[in-house]
Amino acid sequence: MKKIINFSALLLAVMFGLQQTVMASSHREAPLISNDPLADNTDVYAFKSPTDAEKIVLIANYIPFEHPAGGPNWYSFGTNIRYEIHIDNKTTTTGDDIVYRFTFQQTNQDGTTFFNIRLGKENLKTTYTCERSMNGGVSFTVIKTGGIVPPTDIGPRSINSGVGLNSPTYQALAQAAITTATTGERIFCGPVDDPFFVDLGGAFDVGGFRTAAQGARDGLAKFNCHTIAIEVPVSTLQKDGKTVAQAANILDGEYIIGVWASASRPQITTLSTTGAAPATSGNWVQVSRLGMPLTNEVVIPIGSKDQWNGTNPYTGDLAYASFFTNPELALYMDNSQFGGAVPGLTPLRIQTNSLGSFDFRNGKPGLFSLKGSPALNGTALAEPPAGFGHILLPNNSSPRAVDILPAFYTGVPNLRPYQLATGKGGNPLAAGKPFINNFLPSLSDALRLNMAVPATPRTDPKFSSLGIVQAAVLGLTDPAYNGNANLEFIPNMDGFPNGRRLEDDVTTIELQAVSGVVLAAIGLWYDDFTGGSPVTPQLVNVLSFNAGVIRNDTAFKTSFPFVQNPWRGFTGNSYAAPENPTLGLTLPEGSLLAYPNPFRTSVTFHYKMFAPGDVRIQFYNTSGQVVKEISQGTRPAGLHYVTVDESRLATGIYFARLFVNGKGYKAVQMLKTQ
Amino acid sequence: MRKTRLRRLSKQSLLPVFLFLSQLIFASSHREAPLISNDPLADNTDLYAFRSPDDPNTVTIIANYIPFQLPEGGPNYYTFGTDVRYEIHIKNKTSTAGDDITYRFTFSQINQDPTTFFNIRLGQQNIKTTYICEKSTNGGTSFTTIVPNGTVPPANIGPRSITTAGLGLGAANYNTLVQNAVATATSTEKIYCGPSDDPFFVDLAGVFDVGNFRPEGNTTNPTKDGLARYNVHSIAIKVPISLLQKDGKDVAQAANILDSDFVIGVWASASRRQIKTLGVNGIPTYSGNFVQVSRLGMPLTNEAVIPVGSKDKWNATTPYNNNDLQFAPFFTNPELALYMDSSQFGGAVPSLNDLRIQTRSLGTYDFRNGKPGLYVLKGSPALAGTALDDAIFGTILLPDATSPRAVDLLPIFYTGVPNLAPYQLATGKNNNVLAAGKPFINNFLPTLGDMLRLNMAVPVTPRTDPKFSSLGIIQAAVLGLTDPAYNGSTMLQFIPNMDGFPNGRRLEDDVTTIELQAVAGVALAAIGLWYDDFTGTGSPVTNKLVRTISFKSGPTTNDTTFRTSFPYVQNPWRGFDYTLKARF
Repeated sequence: MKKIINFSALLLAVMFGLQQTVMASSHREAPLISNDPLADNTDVYAFKSPTDAEKIVLIANYIPFEHPAGGPNWYSFGTNIRYEIHIDNKTTTTGDDIVYRFTFQQTNQDGTTFFNIRLGKENLKTTYTCERSMNGGVSFTVIKTGGIVPPTDIGPRSINSGVGLNSPTYQALAQAAITTATTGERIFCGPVDDPFFVDLGGAFDVGGFRTAAQGARDGLAKFNCHTIAIEVPVSTLQKDGKTVAQAANILDGEYIIGVWASASRPQITTLSTTGAAPATSGNWVQVSRLGMPLTNEVVIPIGSKDQWNGTNPYTGDLAYASFFTNPELALYMDNSQFGGAVPGLTPLRIQTNSLGSFDFRNGKPGLFSLKGSPALNGTALAEPPAGFGHILLPNNSSPRAVDILPAFYTGVPNLRPYQLATGKGGNPLAAGKPFINNFLPSLSDALRLNMAVPATPRTDPKFSSLGIVQAAVLGLTDPAYNGNANLEFIPNMDGFPNGRRLEDDVTTIELQAVSGVVLAAIGLWYDDFTGGSPVTPQLVNVLSFNAGVIRNDTAFKTSFPFVQNPWRGFTGNSYAAPENPTLGLTLPEGSLLAYPNPFRTSVTFHYKMFAPGDVRIQFYNTSGQVVKEISQGTRPAGLHYVTVDESRLATGIYFARLFVNGKGYKAVQMLKTQ
Repeated sequence: MRKTRLRRLSKQSLLPVFLFLSQLIFASSHREAPLISNDPLADNTDLYAFRSPDDPNTVTIIANYIPFQLPEGGPNYYTFGTDVRYEIHIKNKTSTAGDDITYRFTFSQINQDPTTFFNIRLGQQNIKTTYICEKSTNGGTSFTTIVPNGTVPPANIGPRSITTAGLGLGAANYNTLVQNAVATATSTEKIYCGPSDDPFFVDLAGVFDVGNFRPEGNTTNPTKDGLARYNVHSIAIKVPISLLQKDGKDVAQAANILDSDFVIGVWASASRRQIKTLGVNGIPTYSGNFVQVSRLGMPLTNEAVIPVGSKDKWNATTPYNNNDLQFAPFFTNPELALYMDSSQFGGAVPSLNDLRIQTRSLGTYDFRNGKPGLYVLKGSPALAGTALDDAIFGTILLPDATSPRAVDLLPIFYTGVPNLAPYQLATGKNNNVLAAGKPFINNFLPTLGDMLRLNMAVPVTPRTDPKFSSLGIIQAAVLGLTDPAYNGSTMLQFIPNMDGFPNGRRLEDDVTTIELQAVAGVALAAIGLWYDDFTGTGSPVTNKLVRTISFKSGPTTNDTTFRTSFPYVQNPWRGFDYTLKARF
């Protein structure tokens, strides 16, 4: 508490910047970055590892809309870009406390082919260096050199066969690329399924949101992106080096981190006139950044999006506060504005007369009528130095400074009124049941995570992609949690916006939040509450709303890096045309083809019969010894296939010969490999 | 007469270059080179040039940019770059060094309502794009503005944005926006710049998995169009032939349907200013000269002919001043040929088993990489008077004993194919490949650079003609060899699809299949250099030839129809509710 009071002094200086605000993952979200895909930071995730309570997983994704079959030059990290993950763990410093910096290098192992992978060689083969700063970027230490970025999962020939990399599975390549830094973090940089999901076609057709039944579809389905994933011990991230076991409780304010990611490019790029790599010089300039999902997609308007990407959040975000305190999205949930024009959001209507008094529509006072009231004493809404009223209740026309702004810019404290209505006895300003504390008041957009909060097992029946919103629902309505105001773990307290899990449906959560669901959770009920159950039809409408697509189009991994392997470009069996006849002036009666070749465990013979006949295939070694004979019986004219398990054979060269009615045809040579 | 002119050309402009020709390679162009794959706004994906089917006194040229546009790719939908110079270059004579006609497009954008994150809202459009078109007819020395304020239609976002009055733009339909955007230049060309369905089709997943081709119709694994349901941005111009022909003639003045005076070479490019400087907020400014960062003439050159080590350089090079000769080895000994050659990697690419290059055509000629091809005829009196005569183009076409494809692939990409022996159909040759045969192509404009070459005198094959084929000139050759309507004489006559790729390029042409067949030697076979299984007697339409011309690389048609009038490309897929189709 004392610490919070100290923070308030720090915050006093910034109150003048707060006049208005807005809300929105980040694929092609701003005009400039939409034309620089390599540097386009699409999503950031930060969550307690479900497999290790003392580890935090940080994931920053880049390069949107990667076509799994996007060859011949498959996507990879850029070599002239600084990719960084920034961590803030205290308010006594003015910028980053920890920075992870990734830089990438590429080489062509065989510049003579247009294929990306051929004969064991890989072009645009990418490796990386990871550096870490523990002093706000003043100095960096290299913690990994020569890190491997796996190739794209092009297809079976490129990845699994001898004409390609000859890897048993793509998973083997992904797994082998997981590395451990000299400082203990585990790191993976490479292509993955894009874990984000949203109905792009609906959302951006002037808010044409639809239900699944109405045709909502995941605009990111079956696209890949490139991920930078790091698994970091809590003790590395906690400001005093403490472990989770040392936390005072599950909402311990000392365990909060703010996370954001960025991409920077050198200030000056000079193109070569001969197609050589461009020359770069000058300082590094931030061209993309992401903390909270969707901020620059649906909160910041187009006139400010590019600047948002270039802004240092610690020093520049107050300029955008008005987009959060009076968010554009709120206009579409307000019948006195454009609410009637956006039927897809009809279930979402902001409180206009909560508790008979409070109007949270854009431009309305919200809780400002309480300004200066003794009733605010002891709450976060009190004036400084005791509270944060200067931030949360800045004026009578910034209604969402009390909920949307802190969700994005400061985190939410475990202070009145930011506790669940459970136990409040109808007074929203009273003490209630704690459900969140990710308060790190740097007044900047960051994904804030309280690392002391336990992970909800992904197999828990109460696990929900609605994150904290669902924790609030359980805390208000589930008899297991709503009988008292005690601090206890409620499932999904580890969900967005307390950090962000891969599963979290942030689009739905943010739309619900703009429509006032957090206000309702703390007792500022919807207009139709008349004193009975606060779970009114309007609240049920909001909680039942979803943005159309509520989960990713594939499963997540159950262990680091949790994101799923990338979609494979080529799926299914390989087509083989009939083998060519041997040289000569007459066509042979039959011909045989073996594939894959080289092979590992099994080989498929493909043979063509020009007339019906009795078929055998003999398999023999370089000494001429028959090691196997396959009898096919009588076969009609046409194409035939047979797949044979040869896993017991030693590696080496073999031959297979087709016999039709006892007559042998040209043998095919095959190579069995490891 | 014509020969005399050719001979003069060969001595004056071609002689110095033959020394460079020792080897060559082969490959639409989406993300085809490392650098440009990271600069989508400037990525020239495809170029088309064809006589307009509904207006045959004009030629339509279409240059597409910005690959893989997801129809619902908001909130910032794709559009042309404002810092990119987009150009279409036309060559119509060999007596000049560079462009004879240049069309240059420059785009501007405004936000009509910067307070929203939506692209279109309440009748206002953000990132609203307009353009200026300038034209030069003196090699770029001076430009005249011919469209001062053209309109680029918005992306086809969905019904709320496009057709809902009040909320969106309230257009009657999207097509109205496209039609309204078709401009008429002061110099009479029709111009359209805007989003369209990507007309290209190819099984990307199959082709680039080290040659895992899935021919259309195969029963093992259905082919997939990797560009299905994607949009591109098109620059389409419909130009009167008299404006493109070097002497201002219209097509009625052509001597015949293969009149050499009606050949044009077309290529397109994108250029950026040399220096980009990021401001403190990441907002760039641009300075310096324009530098070419993307170019495209023949389809797939930089996708599947030029190897990765040279792709970026290719994009920065103009096809003039013999610049392209440094890449000639990639055409005279193309990488793709390795996969159609059982003595190389042929056995490792079973999906190309239908394609096998001639190893002893007519019992003698081996066209596999590194082999002599027709070089064994060098110096033979039999070559006299043919294009292979050193006095004509022999120095180019038969440079040495290890550049077998200098005789077919190189001219297809770098010079066009003349209507001279041996480049005439075998029809009427009586088994002498060097004899005069039936003419089927003349798009010869020997600048020794990669361009899409079109003889504008060749009539249009109606798209409704039962003999219309996406195999272009290959199908014209097949008809000229086998169809009784055409194979009875060596007379020059119109054979359907003589207006198809590589004589220009129509939207329908399956250039991937055509080029693979060409690498497999089908053009050689067409002129009488039959496949190995021709025994000298009987039909030259042998099993190998049938397999080659029956081969399909993947999908053979676009995933939607084309329009029957300018701009011919189809309207873009609508983001809100386009029908899904698997792309991989």
